[in-house]
Amino acid sequence: MSTIEETTEIAVPVRTAYNQWTQFEVFPRFMSAVRSVEQVRPAVTHWVVGAGPLRHEFRTEIVEQRPDAYVAWRSLDGRHRGEVTFHATAPERTSVTVRIRTERPGPVNLLVGATGLPGRLVRSELAHFKEYIEGQGEESGAWRGRIRGGHVQPPHPHPPKRRVPHWPVG
Amino acid sequence: MQKPPSEEAPDQLTVTPPKKWATGVPAVAHALEYSLEETSPQRAGVTLLTMNQVDGIDCPGCAWADPAPGHRHRNEYCENGAKHINDEATTRRITADFFRTHSVTDLAQRSDQWLNQQGRLTEPMVKRPGSDHYEPISWHDALGLFATELRGLDSPDEAVFYTSGRVSNEAAFILQLFARAFGTNNLPDCSNLCHESSGFALHETLGTGKGTVSLEDLHHADLIFVVGQNPGSNHPRQLSALEQAKRNGARIIAVNPLPEAGLLRFKNPQKPRGVIGRGVQIADRFLHIKIGGDLALFQGLNRLLLEAEDARPGTVLDQDFIRSSTAGFEEFAQYARSVAWEDIVSATGLTREKIESIRDEVLRSDRVIVCWAMGVTQHKHGVPTVREIVNFLLLRGNVGRAGTGACPVRGHSNVQGDRTMGIWEQMPDTFLDALKEEFGFDPPRAHGLDSVNSIRAMREGRIKVFLGVAGNFVRAAPDSDVTEEAMRRCRLTAHISTKLNRSHTVCGETALILPTLGRTEVDIQATGEQFVTVEDSMSEVHLSRGRLKPASRLLLSEVAILCRLADRTLQGRPAIPWDQFEADYGAIRDRISRIVVGLHDFNRRVVRPGGIRLPNPVNEGAFHTAAGKALFTRNDWQAPRAPEGHLLLQTLRSHDQWNTVPYTTNDRYRGIHGSRRVVLVNPDDITDLGLAERQRVDLVSVWSDGTERRAPGFEVVPYPSARGCAAAYYPETNVLVPLDSVADISNQPTSKGLVVRLEPAGTAAGDGARP
Repeated sequence: MSTIEETTEIAVPVRTAYNQWTQFEVFPRFMSAVRSVEQVRPAVTHWVVGAGPLRHEFRTEIVEQRPDAYVAWRSLDGRHRGEVTFHATAPERTSVTVRIRTERPGPVNLLVGATGLPGRLVRSELAHFKEYIEGQGEESGAWRGRIRGGHVQPPHPHPPKRRVPHWPVG
Repeated sequence: MQKPPSEEAPDQLTVTPPKKWATGVPAVAHALEYSLEETSPQRAGVTLLTMNQVDGIDCPGCAWADPAPGHRHRNEYCENGAKHINDEATTRRITADFFRTHSVTDLAQRSDQWLNQQGRLTEPMVKRPGSDHYEPISWHDALGLFATELRGLDSPDEAVFYTSGRVSNEAAFILQLFARAFGTNNLPDCSNLCHESSGFALHETLGTGKGTVSLEDLHHADLIFVVGQNPGSNHPRQLSALEQAKRNGARIIAVNPLPEAGLLRFKNPQKPRGVIGRGVQIADRFLHIKIGGDLALFQGLNRLLLEAEDARPGTVLDQDFIRSSTAGFEEFAQYARSVAWEDIVSATGLTREKIESIRDEVLRSDRVIVCWAMGVTQHKHGVPTVREIVNFLLLRGNVGRAGTGACPVRGHSNVQGDRTMGIWEQMPDTFLDALKEEFGFDPPRAHGLDSVNSIRAMREGRIKVFLGVAGNFVRAAPDSDVTEEAMRRCRLTAHISTKLNRSHTVCGETALILPTLGRTEVDIQATGEQFVTVEDSMSEVHLSRGRLKPASRLLLSEVAILCRLADRTLQGRPAIPWDQFEADYGAIRDRISRIVVGLHDFNRRVVRPGGIRLPNPVNEGAFHTAAGKALFTRNDWQAPRAPEGHLLLQTLRSHDQWNTVPYTTNDRYRGIHGSRRVVLVNPDDITDLGLAERQRVDLVSVWSDGTERRAPGFEVVPYPSARGCAAAYYPETNVLVPLDSVADISNQPTSKGLVVRLEPAGTAAGDGARP
């Protein structure tokens, strides 16, 4: 088991930084190792990451999410988990800390881990996030719901419009 | 052209020990053998290699979801899917000569298997009043005759329009639009016969009529229940998902009155380990439950979970979820605690210790999924059983999280999509309002007839016209004699079909056979080649494009037949551009996108690889129930009981069967060969009833109306069925299911848990063996 922790200070309000972090499908725009992200459900995302010819796919479940404060996830294959915390250090400044823990490293993970590459990668991707959101100045979207114990609590307790057919299906 | 058998082969039963594993190399061999009997190697190659591929043919065999694009096998189908698709791709043809040779009376004496083996229907046929033969008729005259009958009705409610789940979204949408523009909600469908209980229960408790899990959820679950379901024969591709789940560490509990081979061990023919190895053990635990005992089992488990929480507060139940997202917990809990153990033990046939050991499995598991099928739904208490499964899932927050949820496993490939398209006799006003706004007519609001009520209405002479779009209504329906008599009372019966089946032989005064393109065939209309769309059991909507040359130049697509019939019947009132819809199915999808929420931008999105995944509100934390929360329910029950000298019977499919169509008389996994007229009985019950192995008996069902329903000439086969529980194949035993024996709330026929007695057959072997 190994843990990586990186912190950065971003010159945007905490709400802006958090909102941008909820827009996972946009991550490939600024994170160099992220090829694509699909938001399968509010609590489930499918990631394709890689460098050069290497590719790795995994699915994560967001287990906790509190607006402007906290997102925790785990990969559904049980290999790694992580969390990100947001807190305002000033009205226009936010401290963002990412912690990633590898639970069941395979031999490749161990080998790569020994080089220190994962730590550097997280640091550089966090820097890319900072650069992106500071450059844009405002978030590209927001999801303001909560997640507790893997259960989604939608942003509006009673969605005004049903989004799918809701009659019984025999 | 392969020749069909001209005469029926006599039944010759041999029995071998039931198999302890499913699939493997024999499944591949049987699939190829049957395919090549039906069609050429070239056609079989085209069908098999495009089946369930992105932009290929969606297998009509079942509604199991396909893996994500890029993760599919080159051969993404199962033995039964291969048999089914090549049964449609057959090179055998039925021509007008066939009907000159065989009268309707003659055909009505034939077995389901023989009728199916005659091949594809190739031109429209009519049986006129007083005649005993079908004769050719042009499409123009056939649809004109049909439209005249419809226009001559005193009320639109004198017609019913039945749909089977093979029908595409586009044809289903056109059918319901036509029926409602004509003025009726009489839209019975095969859902009424299979998962109606699931739909009602899930809708009431979770606010969605559909299952909540995806393939990935199954892959990542810790514990999967497979209840009242035989995936080895009916959804073989589910075994791949269960195998993957097991490789990820899941445990599986099978609950069934029969130890089905597919529940025990699976040899995946796509993997070397499945070809030469022992395969994967599927069920870690097998609960040999009595027929109809599932509600009691889950209630017992729920009681144990409540008591475990009492012993260690805060560690067993998901209190946070229960408090924030559910309603009705207290009343449910109070009732569940009061259920007596002796009742649970008696209803399930399981010991308390065994159920406690399952509780321990549950307590060790963070993520639980329950899969079920007809063994759960086709009971008087089918709806309460599904509701109790929901209670079980809610207690530990096993709903709406990754790797958890409710998984009703549907049979027919687009049975779920047809409902999404509005094939339901009780559609809500929101849908009808949307139709009104889009098409400028006021759809009828009074609820129509479901399948059982349609038969009742036909029996009483209130229905004059019956249209079946795909399927084999008289063989899928209960109480075969009553259903057939009811059908014969109609003025006109018509079927849009690919192949001959018994429904064509049970005619109204006039009868029409309207032959149609199969899912495998190229569909060319005025604007070019068309594709259709379907929705699988996991709410993924994707396209299906046929590849084969049509079986006959005279075939029309289902969409074309329905559009022309609508046009001829309605004659411009209301003004609906039926001709445009026939010419371009995209125009139908444009309309669907404006009416069915969730399918916005349908045409653009559905052509993307993998299609459209309809969101499930439960997985977004939204419960569209009356309370706005997930509902715990209190479910009273009475276990089905057979009096002294009687057994509980479940009707089921054989392995070589697809819905009402048997391909052969074999049932390989259960060790039955050469005959379908067998009743599987526990050896101790055979002794207790004073019967002998291989004795010929009549099955007689007992029902409160005092009518004797008899299925004659079955051989008794000893089988490891739960005590007091017997099994026999449908549709041969549908004759035993009383029309009025239906599930509470859902009105679904109770094809499981019938009380029967086995009477030694009075006459020589072979009597009454047809159809």
